Amino acid sequence: MLFDIATIVFNALTWAMATFLVASGLTLIFGVLHILNFSHGGFLMLGAYLLFSVTQVIGDDLSFAGYLAVSVGAGIVIAAAGLIVDLVVFRRLRNVESAYVLIATYALLLLVEGLVKGIWGAGNHLVVPPEILIGAVFVGPVLLPYYSLFVIVCGVLAFIGLEWFLFHTTPGKLVQAVAIDPWMSSLLSVNVERVYSLTIVIGFALAGLAGGLLAANQGLSPQLGGISIIQAFGAIIVGGMGSIRGAFYAAILLGLIDAFGTALFPAFPGIFFYVALAGMILVRPKGLISSEFAR
Amino acid sequence: MNRLGSPRLSQFVAILAGALLIGATLPLYANAGIVFLAGLVAIDIVIALAFNFLFATVGVLSFGQAGFILVGAYAAGVAIKFSGVSILPTLILAGVASAFVAMVIGLVALRRVSGVYFAVLTLAFASLGFVAVSKSEFLGREDGLTGITRPDLELGIAAISLTESVHFYYFVLAVCAVLIAVMWYSTSSQFGRTLKAIKQDADRSAFLGINVQGFRVAAFVLAGAVTGMAGALLGPLTQIVTPDLGYWTQSTKPILYAMLGGSGFFWGPAVGAVLFAVLSYATRTLVGMTEVITGGLLLVVVLAIPGGVLGVFQSIARLVRRRSAR
Repeated sequence: MLFDIATIVFNALTWAMATFLVASGLTLIFGVLHILNFSHGGFLMLGAYLLFSVTQVIGDDLSFAGYLAVSVGAGIVIAAAGLIVDLVVFRRLRNVESAYVLIATYALLLLVEGLVKGIWGAGNHLVVPPEILIGAVFVGPVLLPYYSLFVIVCGVLAFIGLEWFLFHTTPGKLVQAVAIDPWMSSLLSVNVERVYSLTIVIGFALAGLAGGLLAANQGLSPQLGGISIIQAFGAIIVGGMGSIRGAFYAAILLGLIDAFGTALFPAFPGIFFYVALAGMILVRPKGLISSEFAR
Repeated sequence: MNRLGSPRLSQFVAILAGALLIGATLPLYANAGIVFLAGLVAIDIVIALAFNFLFATVGVLSFGQAGFILVGAYAAGVAIKFSGVSILPTLILAGVASAFVAMVIGLVALRRVSGVYFAVLTLAFASLGFVAVSKSEFLGREDGLTGITRPDLELGIAAISLTESVHFYYFVLAVCAVLIAVMWYSTSSQFGRTLKAIKQDADRSAFLGINVQGFRVAAFVLAGAVTGMAGALLGPLTQIVTPDLGYWTQSTKPILYAMLGGSGFFWGPAVGAVLFAVLSYATRTLVGMTEVITGGLLLVVVLAIPGGVLGVFQSIARLVRRRSAR
């Protein structure tokens, strides 16, 4: 029984960190630009497909370092795409009603989905993880797959890295300042547009990086973008839109609720995520941490 | 200036009659496949009009309209499969069921959250419905309810069989026309004007003694019921009801139609739905092209022509009029 619980918690944490990797860039962009970016999942998927294509070209027996390097490369490519998206789309919609911006990002998601279907086909693809991540280790009687451990480590590192960036570096503090009051920041000679672009580049880079890191976590299909965005939406809403820390805790909370719910009611897998989500929004509509930046 | 407005009664009747005429003569020269698609488009038009009623008239962005399609379609599917009632009570049952769901969501959610938060909340509720239905043994899990028949239309004195595809197509047209009329009346009556006032300025409306929350919930319930009744037609039309009807991409279709046609116009969503149907029919053999075209179009519309297709037409018409007046 106790070991079952340990397994459930471990699986919940794996899910939570994978979700946080998706949600982190999403919530950063929302916190600063107030754009809820539907296309985030699409660009994550694009990152994963890029990694897949690289493994097709240079062979799928990547070393661990090679896998990481290709993931970072995917992050850089997607960051460049983010810069273009900012110039062509977001910049032109700065002063437009938020509903229209939401719809524009949904259009971007559709575009990316169509692109992926056109280039890689509508079928499924599989990425083989580097050899060192295949297999599992027993801790007592609990089986811990190496890849799951890798995902958890990546999630925690992303969290620590973002927190450090936002609270302990100058550009991070500028990002916070612009998030809290763009007008006041501009009076203090902060280049607000540049901070916006920086935020978008970081957010998109996180999407591409997450896409690469998680590529071997599940099969690749053009539906990946839509699926991952819904889960990440859940985490950032429960956590409080715009709060990195909130998204981190919320992903863990939702992961645990869903994993234990599914263990107790195996006939309804996946439903407790939505029940918890709906319940949390009704109890705390503004999320666990209402706004990290405005503390 | 007719941007927020809806067409006058005579104009509305003329357009609806024209559209019905085209729809009704379609089986005379088009093949059965096209007629079937036309039935789906008619249902899509109603769903998109209901979405745009919320978006453009009330100012509420819902990303979960598929939830109401799902409720309506399954309510009708269960009624037909297990009770064998005729079609009109089935539709009414579907309308009541989705109105009830809309009321619950409206009462608990519209009060607490607004804007983007409400959009995502509706998305979450619709996804909950989708997952719940696709795990339910009684509702056939992922496979849905199959073999849904087309019940007779009982009119008191006579019963008309709708088993024939063409007959059911005419029935779909008739129901959609009625629902479109309901949406038009709700937009242009005093009720609709009150909603527009609330959208313009909720605080001032409240000062004038308007029950802002009450009107918002009422509009949400009305849109939910209309969407549910339109969804109820899908089961008998396609003879199957699957959870996919409630998948979140279904919720975004009406948004696309409204934006494409022009959400500031009553008929905008209808124009968008027809245009989209033609486009996806023309590109159906190209993998991924439908998404690229719809995504690209939607992006262009939001960025460059926020008034949609009808907005462009209006600008051209105005330009021509100014030229001729000179």
